[in-house]
Order: sequence, then structure tokens, then C-alpha cells
Amino acid sequence: MASLRYESQVREPLVTGTKTYHDVTQDIVRPIEMKPSFLWKVGFTISVLLLLFGVYSVYREVVYGIGEWNLNKTIGWGWDITNFVWWVGIGHAGTLISAILLLFRQGWRTGVNRAAEAMTIFAVMCAGQFPIFHMGRVWMAFFVLPYPNTRGPLWVNFSSPLLWDVFAISTYFTVSLLFWYSGLLPDIATVRDRAREKWRKHMYGVLSFGWTGSTKHWQRHEALSLVLAGLSTPLVLSVHTIVSFDFATSVIPGWHTTIFPPYFVAGAIFSGFAMVQTLLIITRKVLNLEDYITMEHIEVMNKVIVLTGSIVGVAYITELFISWYGQNVYEMAAFQNRWDLSTPYGWSYWLMMGCNVLAPQFFWFRKLRRNLLFTFFMSIIVNVGMWFERFVIIVTSVYRDYIPSSWSTYYAPTIWEVGFYLGTFGLFFTCFFLFAKYFPVIAIAEIKHILKKNGESFKENMVEEERATPEKFAHEHAH
Amino acid sequence: MEQKKYWQSFGELNNSEAHQKSAQDEFREELPFESFDAEGLGDAKTPRRDFLKYVGFSTAAAALAASCEMPVKKAIPFVNRPVDITPGIANYYATTYVSGGDAIPVVAKVRDGRPIKIEGNELSTWTKGGTSAQVQASVLDLYDTARLRFPMANGKEVSTLDAFDKMVGEAMASLGAAPLVLLTSTVNSPSSKQVITEFLAKYPGGRHVQYDAISYSGMLLANEASYGRRAIPSYNFDTAKVIVSLGADFLGTWLNPVEFARAYTKGRKIDEKNISMSKHYQFEGMLSMTGANADERFTHRPSETGAVAASILALLNGGSVSGVTGDKLKQGIAKVAKDLAANRGQALVVSGSNDVNVQVIVNAINEAIGANGTTINWGAPMQNKAGIDSEMATLVNEMNSGTIGAVLIYDVNPAYDYYDAAKFISGLKKVRVSVSFNEKMDETTELCKYILPSSHYLESWGDAEPKAGYISLMQPTISPLFKTRQWQDSLLKWSGNATTYADYHKNFWTTKLGSNETYLKAMQDGVIEPATAPAGGGGFNGGGVAAAVTSIASAKKGGKVEVVLYQKASIGDGRHANNPWLQEMPDPITRATWDNYVMMSPVKGKELFDIDLTNNTQADQYEAFPEKPVLKVKVGNNTEVELPVLLIPGMHPDTIAIAVGYGRSEKIGRAATGVGKNVFQFASFNGTTVINYADAAIEKTAAKYKVATTQTHSSYEGRHEVVKEITLDEFKKNPTKILDGRAKELEPWGGLENYEKDGTLYPVFDKPGIKWGMNIDMNSCYGCGACVVACTAENNVSVVGKPEVLRAHDMHWLRIDRYFAGNINDAESIQTVFQPMLCQHCDNAPCENVCPVAATNHSSEGLNQMTYNRCIGTRYCANNCPYKVRRFNWADYTGADSFGDNMDGAIGSNTVINMMNDDLTRMVLNPDVTVRSRGVIEKCSFCVQRLQEGKLEAKKAGRPLEDRDVKTACQQACSADAIVFGNVNNKNSAISKERADNKNRLFYVLEQIHVLPNVSYLAKVRNTDTLSVHAEHAAETHAAPAAGSKPEAAH
Repeated sequence: MASLRYESQVREPLVTGTKTYHDVTQDIVRPIEMKPSFLWKVGFTISVLLLLFGVYSVYREVVYGIGEWNLNKTIGWGWDITNFVWWVGIGHAGTLISAILLLFRQGWRTGVNRAAEAMTIFAVMCAGQFPIFHMGRVWMAFFVLPYPNTRGPLWVNFSSPLLWDVFAISTYFTVSLLFWYSGLLPDIATVRDRAREKWRKHMYGVLSFGWTGSTKHWQRHEALSLVLAGLSTPLVLSVHTIVSFDFATSVIPGWHTTIFPPYFVAGAIFSGFAMVQTLLIITRKVLNLEDYITMEHIEVMNKVIVLTGSIVGVAYITELFISWYGQNVYEMAAFQNRWDLSTPYGWSYWLMMGCNVLAPQFFWFRKLRRNLLFTFFMSIIVNVGMWFERFVIIVTSVYRDYIPSSWSTYYAPTIWEVGFYLGTFGLFFTCFFLFAKYFPVIAIAEIKHILKKNGESFKENMVEEERATPEKFAHEHAH
Repeated sequence: MEQKKYWQSFGELNNSEAHQKSAQDEFREELPFESFDAEGLGDAKTPRRDFLKYVGFSTAAAALAASCEMPVKKAIPFVNRPVDITPGIANYYATTYVSGGDAIPVVAKVRDGRPIKIEGNELSTWTKGGTSAQVQASVLDLYDTARLRFPMANGKEVSTLDAFDKMVGEAMASLGAAPLVLLTSTVNSPSSKQVITEFLAKYPGGRHVQYDAISYSGMLLANEASYGRRAIPSYNFDTAKVIVSLGADFLGTWLNPVEFARAYTKGRKIDEKNISMSKHYQFEGMLSMTGANADERFTHRPSETGAVAASILALLNGGSVSGVTGDKLKQGIAKVAKDLAANRGQALVVSGSNDVNVQVIVNAINEAIGANGTTINWGAPMQNKAGIDSEMATLVNEMNSGTIGAVLIYDVNPAYDYYDAAKFISGLKKVRVSVSFNEKMDETTELCKYILPSSHYLESWGDAEPKAGYISLMQPTISPLFKTRQWQDSLLKWSGNATTYADYHKNFWTTKLGSNETYLKAMQDGVIEPATAPAGGGGFNGGGVAAAVTSIASAKKGGKVEVVLYQKASIGDGRHANNPWLQEMPDPITRATWDNYVMMSPVKGKELFDIDLTNNTQADQYEAFPEKPVLKVKVGNNTEVELPVLLIPGMHPDTIAIAVGYGRSEKIGRAATGVGKNVFQFASFNGTTVINYADAAIEKTAAKYKVATTQTHSSYEGRHEVVKEITLDEFKKNPTKILDGRAKELEPWGGLENYEKDGTLYPVFDKPGIKWGMNIDMNSCYGCGACVVACTAENNVSVVGKPEVLRAHDMHWLRIDRYFAGNINDAESIQTVFQPMLCQHCDNAPCENVCPVAATNHSSEGLNQMTYNRCIGTRYCANNCPYKVRRFNWADYTGADSFGDNMDGAIGSNTVINMMNDDLTRMVLNPDVTVRSRGVIEKCSFCVQRLQEGKLEAKKAGRPLEDRDVKTACQQACSADAIVFGNVNNKNSAISKERADNKNRLFYVLEQIHVLPNVSYLAKVRNTDTLSVHAEHAAETHAAPAAGSKPEAAH
């Protein structure tokens, strides 16, 4: 039935529930002003405990040596670098959402960008732990920084991909943090303005950097957002490209692969969106934000997941094809060691294939894309799969390479290796719980941009004639 | 002359007041402390800021002073510099390694009074500087924490040696008519023999019994029957064109392996202009290291050795094969007999059997093929084994009957290694006076009443004559570390001779050699050798052969499964069990460390444990996990042991093999404790000699046991870029086949000539000056592992112990990869290759560009070098090394960590690491090489400390560097001269010549990936008809080495 006034028939509203601007502020800031819920306390305690276990695991590794882990003379990297790449990958969605989608004027991003950016920052923080603490002599870690020193010509090695990582990740972290924080400023000011307690006023007052909401502030804020978005956009692509260079520039069959940069970036977005799903599905439920993070958001992100998952799948198959097409004995052996289920790690390849390539195909169905439980389940599956992707690349390439005499025994982690990984979960969720408690998880200012407030209110105030269909006035047109 | 005055300022010129004041105060500026007093801080001239400065400074200073306290280490300089010692400069002393009759001329490297490295003595004509792993490791025994430190009587310390002498003297005086027996290992020291004679003269009725843990009395007695001499001739493996070994591990453990290996490999070096090499056949039940080097190998049960020998003899005499089973074996015997007959005078048969009859038949074969006098040399008989089993058996009986008054034991351990140790022990308890001269508290010494610690050979005077006429002298290189005395000194003292053995030794040789000068010269050289090598045959008497053949034919057939005892190249008969370097040295065949185990054929393994190694999943499961099945082995009625099983292709299906020398008593030392099981009791006495195989009842158990192996995968998977081999016939027919194959591989990137330049996008740099390079001849390397231990000793390579080897944390810089090819279910088809693998010092090293901090970099001399104190331990280099030669310090293996007490409680900590870090043991460390701390990568440095020293020597002498200036430790240790090292930019260096002369066999491992290694290899040439291939790769032809592998793009 056509209406007198045009309404989009395709797009769903980005915010449901006929919110007023005040409602938005209320809904998003209320959890900050309330006492923490029981669930929050439980979650936070568990996270801190995990973090403490991680700290102890790292303590052992630092004091007693990398021998606390089960790496060996053939497998120099195992869970450590797998976890690193995994966390960095997860850290991709935030910036992608806030930067690239901002440039592409995707309105829906406003509902999820704040949480996704926070997730990015925490994930990169977690990722950073691994390259630092995988060092045999972590107390010498500052050697990787090109600082002026008294050692004559001794300088860092600019041809090492690990050094590129140092720059790539620190740059990415800095820009993401700035982007996230500058976006937070108006919202922090909102919290400050509503605050009643003195400490709250003071804390948010400091954090808001004196934001008054003047037009000048807004104008500069918008400009800064665009500049940072512009800066971040190439970073989204470059960070994982450079991480993939750790492997692509090596000589190890299975690592030395030119397809890695795009394949890693797609994989990163894939896992990043999966992690956003995991977090937001919980957050919207716990904080009652269903009106802001709607089914529409979930579905859009599921579409990204099926797209990137399929890209990753194509990459996997391309790798296999090229290993056969190239007819290089080492390359063929390396890939046979992956797909052949009878090899010691064959299972990990098929776990990866199942989770990353086959499972997301369910998202071709709209019904499943809009199913919360299924989406949640899939987001976990995808992240398990993406962890195994990195494990497969790192461990199953290096455990049997050129010289058969050095082929390794079966590598399984020690409790401290697992503990370090769990510890980063602890760090991640501790940070995320604190963030969810003390900061607006949705960009209040930005979501107000896309709020169809006027339209909705107008509709409410329409008189009967205005609601009528054109047919009703057909006879009048006849005149 | 008028005094001139210079002035610096007008103030000075005029000597103004202001100038005077400033000159007076020039360097003085009072600290305003005095203003701190009564007036109160607020009013003080010293403001608050200064106060805070002082507080801050003093707090920081106090904190620094308190926290940076380093442990006090005392280094006391010499007051007077000792003669001959220049700190930092090593002295070398010629001496002799002796161990149970074996003697190897060596040179001990002494740094600041401490012997730290053993090198072969290059003046010896029969070793030419070659050594074995045991010789290389022997210096560590000097610093063994388990050494006996003072004399003991009845388990209590005796305060002085004089008091000890008095006690023993009294005890021996009370013996009356009961005879005294001196029980030793084979003594071939001329001066010691004289000491013994003089000593026994004082004790009428006394006698000297020689006992060898691994007996050669079968050979001695057979030679007595055949040649009229109870001795063992020398063997000329170098001149033999056909070598047949019936179970003799002559490269590893049989008789005098250093000499034999040297000669054997000499006969197998390939001259490309005149291609030929000896042909080596091996008949055996287990896969020995020697068997692994054979061109053709046939397996049989140990009990069939006699029948094999008799069949060969029969065929040579026109008879026929009898008493052996299996077509392959029969064909092999026929082939061998034909080949032997065709090479009369140029063939040699040796047998490891201790059965007199077998050895009599072997003597007859050698006579029939004209070996006597050609490949068998009676001119200089071997004197390193002289024990006769029946003499020992008689002694043990007498001891049990209580007729022996005293037994003086030196260098033997029958309570552990005698086949009937229980009987020996009970006999020893009945002997009134038992004295042990020993370095360590072994199983026999434990039971003796009087224990006199003897000195290590590096603390002793002495001599040895392992081959008649070939003498090697021994001199101390350090004064005794503990209250020890050489056994010869004790015998001299107890026979009433007041001279010390040192003087006795000097008199002995001065008299023999004629003058003090010649004596000193001999001590300096270390060896005394005949001017012309004595040669000659022995008078053969074939009288006993027919009887021997009859007795072999009627010998009892073996049971279903037979067990054969063998010695490992590392541990030997067990006397080296407490040496961590040897325990951690991987066995040449099994690559296992720290254990003995049952070696079993995969065929039997499938039958018994249902492990099918031809099935990929099961093979992976078997390889990837260290847990191995456990087998219960029972011999006779009362001896049984449970040991883990390693499935080794090339084993006879019905033969299992177990190494002796394990399962030592706890008192022998921390390294040997709990390692393996003793199986000497599986040997038996057949009335004449001790036999080292037996029928065994085997039974599988449900248990699993972890075996620490350093190599898990045994096939080279047809990767011809890793290992290249060719048959002799093919090489003769088509000498450039390997070179052509390489050229074809490299064709897309400039071919052999321009590969360096065209294989990369990057510019190629000049390499002027010195460029170090190494070449390894895979035809010469026979896998013994001497280089591995030499490298460990030279470069302070950590020993990590079994728990860490199990986790693949072994630290060896140099390893010997061992690959099998052939059908694993067909023992005869198995061919083995040994490939020493070390850092290849690539010109385009993949490890170098990935290090974020440039801790590994390239020297201007082509070395890929590690900067330990720059390394942060990312392990990226180790990952990116295609050869996997980089080793990481996973834990504090050396005690060099910045974290205190780190040796305790960590995973890396175990008794062996603690033992190696004892202050005593650390004396063995080479001060020229950094001890690596936890968290850094290390790897082969081409012995850079030796290179620097060599360059300095040449520089001081003002001449260009020559080959003799530098030798890497591995090169020096190699008795086969498989390793050649030097400056490849010098066209006249040995390495340049070696590469130029062997162009057709030269290859670089993984050449295609354009890492440009500086270690080249020479392909292995097999004197066989066909090359075995791995079952999975049977389809790949060997006609084109790279047929299976299309070239990979160069980097």
C-alpha cells in the first residue's frame, strides 16, 4: 500500500523503538550510572582470575625460560605466535567498521563502532603480549626499537619482518586508540554533565578534555574523525599484510606464499567480525540495547562474515592448487602434511576448513543470518577456525620442512603456554568489562545523527487525512 | 737569558685582585651543606629543591648499592708467572688415551693449567690424528664429580696414602701361602709390564690375569691354533679390494676402530680420474654402524655366523652352501665367495665372533684368499686385547673355593660386566684381601676392602704399545686433582721399590732410547714408531679347520628369537657410562640418547606390537611420540629385563639386539644413574669363550617407555637435493651425472655458472680476502660421532639430559643425520646414509635477514655469526633455517643466567645439568668460547675462535694463511678425513683442491633455494648394483635426480 509520503521499503530503521534524543542518552548512559550488576561482577571476577593466571604463566616463562613451553628445535613458534596473529586479526574489525565504513557512509556502523573499536584496542593489546613475551630475553626487548645508542653503528635490522611488525602494530594501536578516544570525547562529556557524584564529575571532567559541545568543537571533531579515518584505512590493510610477511618472506614451504597478504587481511576481517558478534550479542542483551544493536546490524555483519569466509576459502583452495601446480617437492609435501588426515596434524587442517569455509556458508540463508543463537554459535566457531588457521600455517609448515631428519615430534602446549593464552582472554575481558561499565558502549553522539526522530514524531502527529492512501483522493485528482 | 712570561688574560698580566680570587677558587665550589643547620630548612640558603636532590640521590645510590651487589668471585693473579704458562695461550702436550687396553695417541690442549680438549696426535702413522667419540669425551672424565677423592679401607676414609700403604702391607703380609692375583684389563704398556713382573716376583705364587669386558679370546685362541701365536694380527683395510665382515663392527667398536676406520675410508675415497673403491660385504644379525656402511649386507641369526663362514670356505674350496636359511643369504654367500676368489691377495675377511671355531674357519678363508701377508699383517700384531676367558673363569672358581689370598683389581669391573657377575661377587667376598685401583666407585670397587683412587690418564705417566712396535707415551697434563695415585706407583711401593713411577718410567725409556735427548724428543712427539712399517704373514697351520667345520655343522640351532649383545660407539662396554657427553651423543643407528633398548626389525614389530611402519598413520604415530612399547626379554631361566623397543629396518626379523654398558650402579655417578638396564648376564660361557648371543623368550608388555631420540624420521623421502648418491658402476659410466643434474636444476637461473647472480634480484657482492668453506665427503663419513663430541668439547655445547632431549631441546651444533632407504620389511634392501649437518654458513643466509635486531649477521670472511649478547631470542632465525641447525637455550643449561638459582625447579633443570654445572666439571669449559645464557640462539661458528687464532699465528709469522693454521674441531677429530676446511679464495688450499678435484660429486644441500651455502658435500658412491629407494618413492627414477621436483623459484 502506497503512502502519501515516501518511505524506504528496503532499509529497516537503524534504531528501533521510536526513541527520542533523550531516550538515547538515557538508555546508553544508564548502565554507567547504575551499580554494577551481579552478572557483571561475576564476569569481571572470572576475567581478573584468568588474567592473574596468565600473569603467573608469563612469570614462569620469564624466570625459567621458554623451556616452560613445549616448543623445540624444529618448532620455534607455536601457540605464542598463533595467538599473536589471532588477536591481531580480531583487532581488525573495529578499525574497519569505524574508518572504512565511515568513509563509505555506512550509517549502520554507528550502532556497533564504539564497542568494535574498543575490542580492537584490547585485542591489539593482547596480541602485543605475544611477540614481547615470546622473546627468550624479554628484558632486552627494547633492542627492537631504533633508539639512539652508544653501540656505534649497531641499529635494528630494517629487513626483518618482525621489525616491520613492531612499527605496524604500534602505529595501528596508536591510531586506533586516538580514533576511539576522540570519538569518546563528546560522550564522556555527556556522562560528565549528567553526573551527580563528585568523583564521577571529576573523573569524566578530566577525561572529556574540556569538551563543551561548542560548534567549533564539533567542527574540529568531525575533521579529526575524517583525518583519522583516512589514516586508519590503509592501516586496516597494512597491519595484517605485514603480519603475513613474517611468513611470506621466509623460505619455509607453507610460509613462503605470495597469496598471504590479501588472504590474511580477509581472514582478519572475518575473525574480527566474528568477535564483534560474540561481544555485541552479549552486550546488547546484558545492557538492554536491543533497540540500538538491531537484527539488522547482526545480519549485515553476518553478510560480511560469509563474504570474507568465502574469500578465505578460495585462498585455501588456491594454496592447495598452486602447491600441486608448482610441482615443488617441498611445497607439495608441506601441503600434503596439512590436508592428509593421516598425518599428525591432519585433524587441525580439517577443523580449520570446517569452521572457516564450510560453516559460514549457512549464512546464505536469511533466516539463519537473523537467528541470534545461531549467529552467536557461529561467531565462536569462526574464531576457533581462525585460531586453527594460524596454527596450521605456523606449526604444520615448520614441523616438517626441508630436511627430514629434523622433522619434529608431536607438539602440544604445556599448561603455561595455554595459561598465557587464557591470560590474554583475562586481559581482554577485564578491559572490556571495565569499558562496558565506565564508558558508553554505543556512540551516543553519532547514533543521534542517524536517529529518524523527526520522521517518527511527525508520523505520530499526522492527522487522518495525512495517513490516507492516494486512492482516497483519486476523485479530487479527477478534477 | 731573560725569563719570558706568557699570560692568558689581562687580569693575569696585571695580576688584579679579581684574578687572584678567581684563580684561588678555580676548582672550588663549596657544597652548601653548612646552611642545613639550626635556622630551619625554610630559611636555609639551601632551598627545598636541593634538599630533594640530595634525598633523591642518596636514595637512588643506596638502592643501587644494595641491589646491584654481584657475587664475589675471587681471581687471584699469579705472584710469579709459572714457566711455560702464558695466560690465554694454550699449551699442547702429547700423551695417550688409554682405556681397557685401547690406546690412542693424543695431544691434550691445556689452558691455564687445565686440560680442556683432546686432539688426535697427527704424528702417529696409524691414526694420523684421528680419534673416536670416547677419546674426545675422555677429558670430561677428569672432572667427573663422582671420582674417588681419597683412599678408603673397609668403607672408611684413610687419611694418608702412607697409612693406606701400611694397612695394605700388613694385610698382604698375613696372606701366607694363599696366592695373590693381579686382575687387570689388557696391559700393553711396556714399563707397566715390567713393574708387574717385578711386583709379582715379590709375591711368589702370585699371577697376573687379564680380563676384557668384551672378550676377544676366540680370536686369540683361534690364531694360536692357526698361526701358532696367541695374538691378533693387524688388518690392512686400505689395501683390501673386497672386505667381508661377519658381524665385526670394525668401524665402531671392534678391536681398534680408529685405525680400521682410517684405513677403510682410505680405500673408499674416490679419485675422479681413476674411479675405484673397495667393496664391503657385511653379514650380521643386527644393524651395526659398520653394517650400515656396507655396500651389500646380508642378515642372518647370530647363531648362523659359523655356518655362513663355513659355507664361504666350502664355496672357496669347491663345496656348497650348507646350514644357512634364506635365499638372499645363500645368494649373498655365493656372491661373496666369487668376489673373494676373484680378488685373491686383495681381500680380507674379519669376524666379530668370539667362537674359536668360527675364527679358525675365518683364518682358513683368509688363507684361501691370500690375505695372510697381504691384507693381514703379522708384522705388527695388535696388543690391545689379550684376555683369555678360561683364565678368568678359573680365577672366579678359585676365588669361590677360597684359595685366593688377595686380588688387586685395576681397570676391570667384573661385578658388573662378567657374564656371571653373581659368581664373581660371591668369590670376591671370599678373598681375604681385595684392593681396587679405580678412578670411580664402580660395582666391583664397591665390594673391595681397600680402595685406592687411581689417577686419570691426563694426570698420569705411562706408555702403551697397542700394536707391536708402535709406542705411544703418556705424560701428566695436570697435577692430580684429588688424593690419587697411579696403580703402577702402588705396585712399585708394595714391591719395596722406593722410586716413583715417574722416575721409573723415565729411566725405562731413557735406557731404551739411549739418551735423555731422545727421551725428551719422544715425550714431545708422544709416539715412537718403527722407521719402516713391519709387515709379513704368519705361518698357517690348517690342522684344526676340519674339526672346526664339523663342530659348527653340529652346533645347536638357535631358537625362535635370538638376542645379540653389542656395544654402542658412545658408551662401549659401560666404562664411559657416567660421561654426559657420550650419553647425550646420539647412537649412529638409532639416534637415541640416554638409554639402551631392544633393536627390533619392523617385521617383528608388526607381528608383536601391531605397528605397521608402511602405514603412514601408524608410522607417524610411532615417530611423533617418544613413548615406545616395552618388551620383556628372557634368556635362560632366571635373567629377564624389560626394555623399550625401537624398530630399526635392516634388523634380521628373528634377531633382537641390546646394547651392553647400561644399568650401572648408583655410585658410578649421576649421569649413569637410572640409565638403561644391564644385559651382560645374557652372555654365556661355552667352556672356552664367552658368547655374546643367546636364545631369548620375548613377551610384549602393556607398558610404554619414553626413549629420547634426536631424529624421528628416517627416510629422506627421495629428496635428492638433501642427499645425493650414485652407484659405482653408474658413476664410472656417466661421471658427470650428478653435475648434470645440478646444472639442469639451476638452468632457469643462470645455470651452474651464473646461479649466484641470476638467481636473485639483489646485487651480488664481491667476497675478497678470506672466505671460509667446508667440504664433507659422504663417502668417507661413516657416522661414528667423534666430530659431534669434539664440537661439544670445543664449543662448550650444553648437555641437557634425557628430559630435555625428549622434548627435542638437544643443543648439538653438529649432528649426523642418518637416513634409511629401501623396503623396511626387507632387511637386505636397506641402505643407510650418514650426513653430518651443521650450519651451512650461507652467503645468502635466510636467518640473517629475519632477525629484528641483527644479532646474526655475516662476517667479511663468509661466516654466519651469532652475537649472543645482542640476541633477544625471537627464534625467527631458527624457524627460517632450511637446515634446522640453530639451537635455542630453552632454559638455564649453563648456570650463566641473570636470574639466580634458576637451575632449580625449572623444567630444564635435571641432575645432569646440575652435574655439568658443578664447579669441578666447569673446569672443562673452553675459555675462548662464550658460555651461552638462557634465551639466546646458538649454532656452529666454524670454530671461529680457532680461525682467529690461526690468522694471528700467520700474521705474527708474516705469511699468508695456510691450511695448517686452522682446523675446526670436527675436522681434527675425524679419523676418516671426511671434513676438509679452509679458505676457498686461496686456489691452493686443500678445500679449493678438494672441490676442484671432485667436481662431479660435489653438491650443495638444498641448492635451489639460493641460500648459497658454504658447506659442500660429495655424493655418496655405493659399490652396489642398485640404489634402494624409499617405498613411497619407488616410482621416482634416479636417472634424473630432480625428476620428481620441478625447480622452485629462487628467492
